[in-house]
Amino acid sequence: MTTAVYDYYVLFPNHQEGLRLYRKLKENSIKCSISPTPREASSFCGMSLLVSAENVGAVKKVLAGDNSIQTEGIVKIKRRTALWNKTC
Amino acid sequence: MADYRKMWSDLEMDLEKHDLLCEALPEAFGAIYMSQENRPEGMDFFNFVVAEIHGVRPAELVEHQKKGGKVFGTFCVYVPDEIIFAAGGIATGLCGGSQFWVPGGEKVLPANTCPLIKASVGARLDDTCPFFKIADMYIGETTCDGKKKAWEILSQEVPIHVMDTPQMKREKDILAWEEEIRLLFKKVEDLTGNKVTPEILAENIKLINEKRKALARLYSTRKNSPLPISGKDVLLVTQIAFYDDPARNAAMVHKLCDELDARIAKGEGVFPADAPRILVTGTPMAIPNWKLHHIIETSGAAVVVEELCTGTRYFENLVEENGKTLDEQIKALAGRYMQTNCACFTPNAERIDDILRLVKDYQVDGVIDCNLQFCGLYSTEAYLVQQALKEAGVPYLHLETDYSEQDMEQMRTRVQAFIELIGK
Repeated sequence: MTTAVYDYYVLFPNHQEGLRLYRKLKENSIKCSISPTPREASSFCGMSLLVSAENVGAVKKVLAGDNSIQTEGIVKIKRRTALWNKTC
Repeated sequence: MADYRKMWSDLEMDLEKHDLLCEALPEAFGAIYMSQENRPEGMDFFNFVVAEIHGVRPAELVEHQKKGGKVFGTFCVYVPDEIIFAAGGIATGLCGGSQFWVPGGEKVLPANTCPLIKASVGARLDDTCPFFKIADMYIGETTCDGKKKAWEILSQEVPIHVMDTPQMKREKDILAWEEEIRLLFKKVEDLTGNKVTPEILAENIKLINEKRKALARLYSTRKNSPLPISGKDVLLVTQIAFYDDPARNAAMVHKLCDELDARIAKGEGVFPADAPRILVTGTPMAIPNWKLHHIIETSGAAVVVEELCTGTRYFENLVEENGKTLDEQIKALAGRYMQTNCACFTPNAERIDDILRLVKDYQVDGVIDCNLQFCGLYSTEAYLVQQALKEAGVPYLHLETDYSEQDMEQMRTRVQAFIELIGK
């Protein structure tokens, strides 16, 4: 049986805020990826930042140090396997 | 999260139905794309485009219209974007690649119509795609019978200008295509109210050529082993090139290529160096159709090049930039577009030459020729493709599929057996 892996999604009120944090994390060499927001995380479409468990603490630190970036929280979601057959 | 509901509502979209698509896309993208290991950072821009797919770019198009600009929806690589941009319009690709839109198309189309046409018609009739709602005019073409009849149905919804694509490539056919470009020229000038001068057309020929050069550079990185980028990612970049702003798109593709060049220099790849190298050919894969690439790349092989409309057919061959008069420029456009080798032409031996050339250039171990169901042109031409590849000693697999999930495991079994057969 494989162990479940969890990802963290940082949510934003709009993509401008998302891109601000993205640039800030890159400046600080903190790994993150721009991702569509999964429905489990929010009922609104749009971008979020996908962060692995090992980096979520660093992201929280950056946010604590710069309260001008608006977020709508960080959501923890179980990662899907790449073999999951899904089209849309 | 971003709220585009006001814009969608102003576009008279079916918000409830559209929300089902918004729900499905992140799930599929997460499983197919975000699950990949060691993706280039430069893919973040393209992830962003997908995340905001019905938001950011549609909002730019609406803004363009508010300033008096026009938006032209296109469905085929034979439509010369240069003319549209030169007249101050924006061209945006409209091909539907989602199963979500298929039932909407089936309400009016025969069941034995290809899913690309069904999805394209369904996206409009179900009011679930902002791009289809925004476009002031659609530019159709006569590259297959299904599309020809679909334009007649869609013309009840939105003005359509149909370009009569020749079916052969004799001198008189190329002249006829020149004439079709002139008719488009006039149509676009009339709708936009803008006069196109040779100077403006020259600028826009260069603009679209630059986009082609950026894509050509991206594809060239895949001639290396190990591969610096997955086939899935390159497919996504190509799909997005059809509707993003051309200058921005070229810049972002070059940025990605800089990163890939650094990877190549370090010998860094996304697959093991001995992963079988697959060329995919056949019918176009409109966004979000990532089905075949996903199956191949989760079965131990890598897609290294696509001889598709969403592949080399889109960017190979540049338009000659030295034309000084509109006549010379239109001739150059006709010449370039008639070098694209679609199965709607007879004979179409040049497509087979292209495949054989790409097999060599990209060190291909096997070819997967996949056509969408009910595409008589590509499924018939598969016989000749298979014959040529057999003669050249290149392993070949023919598949036929649609956009649904129902045959994914059968396809996976066939692809896995093929990869085993290549036996690298």
